[in-house]
Amino acid sequence: MDRTEMLRVLAKHRTDEIVVTTMTTTWMWPSITNNPDLDYPAYGVMAQGASIGLGIALGRPDRKVLVLNGDGSQLMHLGSIVSIANAGAKNLVLFVVQNDQYEMTGGQPIPMAGKIDFASAGKALGMKNGYRFDDPSEFDTELPHILREEGPTIVALRVSGPLGERRRPNMKQEVRRFREMMLKLA
Amino acid sequence: MVREELERCGIEFLVWLPDTEARSLYDSIMASPRLRLIQVCHEEEAMGVYTGLYLTGKKAAILIQNTGFFHSLDGLRGLILNLELPLLLMVGYRGYHELKDGKQPFDSAAVLTEPIMDTLGIKHYLMDTDDQVGNIGRAYQETMETNRPVAVLIGREYN
Repeated sequence: MDRTEMLRVLAKHRTDEIVVTTMTTTWMWPSITNNPDLDYPAYGVMAQGASIGLGIALGRPDRKVLVLNGDGSQLMHLGSIVSIANAGAKNLVLFVVQNDQYEMTGGQPIPMAGKIDFASAGKALGMKNGYRFDDPSEFDTELPHILREEGPTIVALRVSGPLGERRRPNMKQEVRRFREMMLKLA
Repeated sequence: MVREELERCGIEFLVWLPDTEARSLYDSIMASPRLRLIQVCHEEEAMGVYTGLYLTGKKAAILIQNTGFFHSLDGLRGLILNLELPLLLMVGYRGYHELKDGKQPFDSAAVLTEPIMDTLGIKHYLMDTDDQVGNIGRAYQETMETNRPVAVLIGREYN
């Protein structure tokens, strides 16, 4: 499915969930998001999105945390799925945005490109629920239920399509802004 | 002892991956009603989990071995150092006693630990005797004041 369409479906159903973006979704999400106050870009570091999401989910068990991870990032720390499951992060949904490439570095294929089933792998590694979508209308239909049910949940999103405009968030500012927001939402 | 010191600092979460120096500490922390252990599968993950906890305002620390500290370096660089976050980093100092006694250490882990921390500008304290347990509180206070990571190198087993 087209990645812009996929992100629009997410923004349509997302209400007060925290959204953690990584890699190229960090470029696209700011123009699509419906609640920028609760967005955190995990930018400037490799493969840490799922772990940052876990930390936020543990610190704020009253909120749902949605992580938009990349497939290459997820492969780099496949064990982070086990850590999420082991910590019992019921409020975490880990989306693996799967385009089978290292897009940030020029589109080189990931190992086993096109053949990895992150939904089944995630379930085998301890996630409570696993889904896989390559059709936006199906994603649109199922997402409300996924956001409501108890996790941890892994969702593989097979995407393609052009990238957004390259952005480089000011991460020190983002840290201050997001942390203040978290402390305000007592 | 170490557990009490961590509790005194108000630490709520200890993100860790087991190591030899922290063997006894595990049971002690598991019994604590105030400290929650969060286990990771790779030490670099600890940097991300810690950052997430920090973003929500929680007080946390990391406990890994020096070999795992080497594993964690890009996460430490990209998150803790780049973003200027405070971090109490407790590191099992494998091979410290051989190094201290002037013997050939088992491998390069102990030899490289302090030089790499020094290169990264990470201040470090040693905790190898009972009277050095207070270095945890000292390191915690310093990291909170400076927004730079401060390490405590654990030379022997504590509980």
